[in-house]
Amino acid sequence: MATILVYVETRGGAVQPIAFELLAAARSLAAPAGWTVEALVCAADPAAPAVEITAADCVLTMAHPALSPYLPEAHAAALQAVVDERQPDVVLFGYTTAGLDLAPATAGRTGRTLAAYCRTLALDGGALTASAQVYGGKLIAGIEAPLPAVACVMPGAFAEDAGRIAGSPERIVLPAPATLGALKTRVLEELFPEAGGVDLTQASRILCVGRGIGEAAKIAGAAEVAELLGAELAGSRPVIDAGWMPKARQVGKSGTKVRPKLYVAVGVSGAPEHLEGMAKSDLIVAINSDARAPIFGAAHFGAAIDLFDLLPALADRLRAG
Amino acid sequence: MPMPSPLAVLALIAVAVLVAGYRARVLIAAIARAPAAHRWDQPWQRLGFVAREVGLHRRLLQIRLSGSFHLMIFCGFVVLFSAIVADFGAGLFPGFSLHAIGGDTWIALLQDVFALVLLAAIGLAIWHRFVIRPARFAGSRTTDATLIYLFVIAIVLSMLTEAASGIAAGNVAGGWRPVSGALAAALTGAGLGADGAAALHAGATWVHMLAILGFLAYIPGSKHRHMFTAIPNIFFRPLTPRGVLPAPPEARGQVGISKIEQFTWKDVLDTASCTECGRCQAACPAFAAGQPLSPKKLIMDLRDRIMADAADSAGPLLGGTISEQTLWACITCGACMTVCPLHIEHVPKIVDMRRQLVEEARVGPGLQDAFANMQRTGNSMGKPARQRARWTKDVGFKVKDARKEPVDILWFVGDYASFDPRAQRITIAFAKLLHAAGVDFGILSDAEQNSGNDIRRAGEEGLFQTLARSNMDALSECTFQRIVTTDPHSLNALRQEYPALGGAHAPVLHHTDLLLELIEAGALKLKPGSGATVTYHDPCYLGRYNGGFGAPRALIERAGYRLHEMPRNRENSFCCGAGGGRIWGDDTGVTERPSENRIKEALALGDATLFVVACPKDMVMYTAAIEALDVRGKLAVRDIVDLLELAEA
Amino acid sequence: MHAAVVLRLVPDIADDLEISESGNDIDREWVGMKLNEFDDHALEEAVLLKERAGASVTAVALDGDGVDKLLQSAIARGADRVVKITYDELPPLPAAAAVAAILADAIQALGADVVLTGVQTPEDAGGQLAAALGARLGWPHLSAVAGVQPAPDGLIVRQEHSGGYATRVHAAGPVVLGVQSASQPPRYVSGSKLRQAIGVKPEKRAGGEAFAGPVAMVRRLAKPASGGGAAMWKGDADAVADQFVALLRERGLLKG
Repeated sequence: MATILVYVETRGGAVQPIAFELLAAARSLAAPAGWTVEALVCAADPAAPAVEITAADCVLTMAHPALSPYLPEAHAAALQAVVDERQPDVVLFGYTTAGLDLAPATAGRTGRTLAAYCRTLALDGGALTASAQVYGGKLIAGIEAPLPAVACVMPGAFAEDAGRIAGSPERIVLPAPATLGALKTRVLEELFPEAGGVDLTQASRILCVGRGIGEAAKIAGAAEVAELLGAELAGSRPVIDAGWMPKARQVGKSGTKVRPKLYVAVGVSGAPEHLEGMAKSDLIVAINSDARAPIFGAAHFGAAIDLFDLLPALADRLRAG
Repeated sequence: MPMPSPLAVLALIAVAVLVAGYRARVLIAAIARAPAAHRWDQPWQRLGFVAREVGLHRRLLQIRLSGSFHLMIFCGFVVLFSAIVADFGAGLFPGFSLHAIGGDTWIALLQDVFALVLLAAIGLAIWHRFVIRPARFAGSRTTDATLIYLFVIAIVLSMLTEAASGIAAGNVAGGWRPVSGALAAALTGAGLGADGAAALHAGATWVHMLAILGFLAYIPGSKHRHMFTAIPNIFFRPLTPRGVLPAPPEARGQVGISKIEQFTWKDVLDTASCTECGRCQAACPAFAAGQPLSPKKLIMDLRDRIMADAADSAGPLLGGTISEQTLWACITCGACMTVCPLHIEHVPKIVDMRRQLVEEARVGPGLQDAFANMQRTGNSMGKPARQRARWTKDVGFKVKDARKEPVDILWFVGDYASFDPRAQRITIAFAKLLHAAGVDFGILSDAEQNSGNDIRRAGEEGLFQTLARSNMDALSECTFQRIVTTDPHSLNALRQEYPALGGAHAPVLHHTDLLLELIEAGALKLKPGSGATVTYHDPCYLGRYNGGFGAPRALIERAGYRLHEMPRNRENSFCCGAGGGRIWGDDTGVTERPSENRIKEALALGDATLFVVACPKDMVMYTAAIEALDVRGKLAVRDIVDLLELAEA
Repeated sequence: MHAAVVLRLVPDIADDLEISESGNDIDREWVGMKLNEFDDHALEEAVLLKERAGASVTAVALDGDGVDKLLQSAIARGADRVVKITYDELPPLPAAAAVAAILADAIQALGADVVLTGVQTPEDAGGQLAAALGARLGWPHLSAVAGVQPAPDGLIVRQEHSGGYATRVHAAGPVVLGVQSASQPPRYVSGSKLRQAIGVKPEKRAGGEAFAGPVAMVRRLAKPASGGGAAMWKGDADAVADQFVALLRERGLLKG
C-alpha cells in the first residue's frame, strides 16, 4: 500500500509543532487515496517524543547517539536508510532549517522529485501537485512532482489540530544504519537564545510603535501586546527622537533595518525612511487611524482603527490564548 | 647699560633666526617633501586677489568686532615694521636711520599713533577672548594666544619706552612723537636725569630687540605663523570652480589618503596657516548638530600630526589622528571654506580621507546600502531603474523620451525627484508648468542614473566615475539645447563636475532659472499670490556652490509673496544636513539635526508661514524636521514651484 | 583549503514581476537581476576564510546574461578565480538536483573541498542547492549557516534554527554549506575596485551531463489573490482583533 512518510522534528526531546502540521497535511493527502501515514522520529532517545505522535498509522523510531542534537549528516543518513527500505511514495518535511537540509538531501539521495515552499498539496494521478510560495510571496507556483516525491511544507499551511488527533499507531523500532558510525561532522555544542539585550535584526517578531502612540506613558499598552505576541518592541523615528525608547529599538533608515517574520506597526504613518527599514518583513500588519497612511501600501493586512481601542482588545484575545 | 653693539645684535639675530629655523624645520621639510599641487597658474590674478583679500579684510570683517581689531593689529604691525627696521638697522650699522625718508617726522608720528592703536586692539582682543569668550574659540590653544598678546605688548611698550627715554636723553627728536613725548615729559617730571634716560634708552632698546627676536623665534610653533603663511596660502588658493572636487592625483597611486605625507604641500600650508579662529567651527552644521566634527579641530589635528613628524609611531591617520566618525560627519556644505579668512580647503581633505575609508570598506551600513544600490540600480534607494520615469504617468500628458526624439530642454530629474513621494509632487508640478509654457522638453527615463555628486563627496570616486560616464554617454546620445534640473546636487555635477571629466558643455539650468526666464518671456502667466510672508532656504549646491541666489528670490517676489530672509542666508546659508552622503547615514550622536536647527531659525522670524526651498532633498529633510518639531500648524515647506500658480487662461 | 562559492543571479523581487506567455516562468526580458542575497553572504564568508585561513576562493556561476559582471564583482570582493559553467538547458525554476548535476563535476574538477552558497533563493521551488549538491557530491552539508571558522582539523560551522537556537558543528572533511548570514555583513566593494576588475575574463568550463532522473516541474505561475497594498480589516476593535488573531493562528505566529 502507498505510504506518506512524515519526518518528525524534535528538539530537546520534544516534538516541534511543525510536525503536527505535517501530520495534518499527510492525513489530508492520505485519506482520499486510502494511503497510510508513517511518522519517523530520529533521536538519541526517540521513545519520549514518539509517544506524542498519535495521528499516524505507524510511528517509526530510530535511536542513535549521533541523532541528537540534530546533525544534518546524521539525519540525512538515517532518512536515506529508512526511505530506501520502506519506499514511501511521499515524504514530508517542514520549512525549517532541518527541512532545508533534509528535503533536498532525501530527494537527491533516493532519486525522488521535490517540491519546496508548499502551501497546498494534492495527489493527481502519478504526481504530487503543490502550490508553492515563490519570489518572496509575490507569486504562487503550481508544481507537479512525479511520484515518488518529497515535499517541504510551509508552516501555517495546515492546521496542526488535525495532526494531533488521538489514535493508536503501530510502533516500529528501526535499526540505525552503519553509516551513522562514520560521520564526518559532529555537534560541538548547542547554543540557546540569551535573555536580555535587543538586536532587532535578530527578532523574528517586532511590534513597532509610531508617533500615533502620543506619549511615553502609553507605550506600556503596546509593550504588553508585544510581550503577548512574543515580539520585540520597536519605535519609529519620532518615538525614538522623543526619548520614549532607546535608539537600539529604532526601525528605519536611520535606525535598524529589520526583516522579521511578523511586523506589526501601530500608529506608524509609514514615511519612506521607515518603509525602507521594514518593508521586506515576511508579514506586515498595520494599524493606523488614518486610512490613507502610506504604511498601508507596504502592509499585507491593515485596519484603519484607533490603536487605543485595538490594543486592549488584542491583549485580551492573546492572553486568552 | 651700553647700547647693543653691532656684534651683539648680529649674534642675537643669528640665534633668533637659528631657533626660528629649527622650530620651523619640520614644517619646511614637510612642505618640501609633500606631493605636488599645481597652484602657480594665473599668478597676476592670484596676486590681485591677495591684495584685495588682505587689504580689505573682507572675510575677517564679516565678524565686525574681531575683524576690526585684527585690522588694527595688522596695520599696527605694518607701521611698527619701520621701528624694527630702524632699530636693527642702527644696531647693526651704527649711524643708520630712517631720518632721510621721514623717520623722525611722519613715520615717527605713525609709530606713536599706531603703538596706541595696537595696544587698544590687543586690549580688545584680550577682552574678546577672555570676557566675551565666543564659542568658536572652544578647542583653540589659549596659552598660545596669551603669549602672543604678551609679546606684542612687550614690543609696543618697549618701543614707546625706547622713544620716550631717547627724547628725555636728547638723542631722539620729540616733535613728531606726541605719545613718547608725553611719556618723556612724565619720566623727566618723575626725576629721570640725562644719564638715567640714556641708560633707560639703551635698556629699552635691548628689551625691544629681544622681544622682537623672541617673538620671531616663537612664531614657528604658534598660530602666529599666519603672519608668514597667510599671504602665500591665499595666493595659492584653488582657482577651479567651487563645485569641482579635485580628482585623486594619478601620482598618489591610490584613490584616497591614508598617510599624512600623502597630503600635498598646499594641504600642509593650509594646516600651517590655521589661526584657530574657529569661524569654520561656528559655521559648521555638523558641529552644531553635536557631531564629532570641527573643521578647525580637523585642521589643527592634521597640523599637529605633521609637526610631530613621527610618521608611523603616531598610529594610523584614519581612525587614529582623525576618527572615522569625524570624517563621516561632514555634509560637504562648504560653509567652513566660505568663511575661512585663510582660504583653507577643509572639504577636499575630508573627501580624500573618506576615499580611503571607502576603498577599505570602512563604511557605515546606510551608506553601504546606498552605494550598493547605486552600483546595482543607479539610484540610492535601490528602486528598479525602470521605475525612474513612473512619475510621468501622473502628469496628464506624455513626457518625451529624449533618447527617442530631439528636445529643446533635457530635464535631468535626479533620484529624490524621481522616487521620493514628497519630492515627486514637485517634479510633477514642474512638468505641468513646463507643459503650460509650451517648453519642448524630455527626460532620459531609465537611462538616467544618480548624478554622482554626493557619491563623489562621500568618497566613492570609482562609483562616481561610473555613474558620470553612464550619464555622459546617455546625454551624448540625445539632441538638446540646454539641460534643466530641479536638483541642485545634479546641477552641480552636470554643470561643474562633468565638464571637468571631459563632458559636453551644454548650459545647465536650475529649474528656478528656467521658470524665471519663462515668466519674463511671458510664456508663463501667474495668478497673483496671497502676499503671505515666506522665508527661503538657499540649498548649498545651488547657492554657495553655484551662485544661484537671485532666481529663487525673484520668483518668490514674482509669485506675489513677501520674502523675510533668515539671518543665515545666501553664502551663509545653513545646510539641511543631507549633503555629502549624510542623507544615507544614520544620525546616531546627533543632538540637534541641522534641519531642525534651521526650522527654528525660520520660526524665530515670527511672521513667515512658508518655508520655501528649491531642492528635492530639502523638501524631504524639512518636511521631516517640521514633523519632528511638531510645528505643522506654524510653518509649511513649499518648493518654489508650489508658489507659482498659473493664471486662468 | 579551496573554497568554491556558487553565485546565482535572481530576479529583483522589489521589481514588478510579470508572468511570461508560457505561464510557467516570469517574464525575464525586463526584470532586473541581482546577486542572490544569501549568495552574497556566502561569498563574504568565503573571503573571510581566505583572510583567516588562507583559503583560495573560486567563484562559480552558471553561464548567462550578466554573469561576467557578477563574477568580476566577485574578483573585486576577493575571489582568486572565477569560473562560469556552461550547460545545455534548464527549465524555469529548475529542480535543485538538475542544477547540482551541472555544477558537481566542475566543482570536483576544481579541487574544492568546501562549497558555499546561499541557503535559498526567491525562486528555488525545486529545492535548495546546498543540500542537493551535498547529495550529488556525497559530502555532508549544513543549511542555515551563520558563520564559519577555520579549525586546525577542519571547519567549525554555526547552524541556526528557529527561536534563536543554534548548534556549532565541526566538519572534518569536504562539506557543502548553505549560508544564511556571514560572520560579518558583506563588505562594500568600492567602484574603483569594480572598475579594476572589469578586465577579468571568467574561465569557461562545461557543466556535468544533464540530470537523468525525474524532476518536479513548475507548470504555472500565478499572482496570489490579494494584490498590492494591505487587505483591510473592517469592523470595530473586537472584530479587527479577532481577524488579527485568526491571521496569526493561520500563519503559525501565535506565541508558544
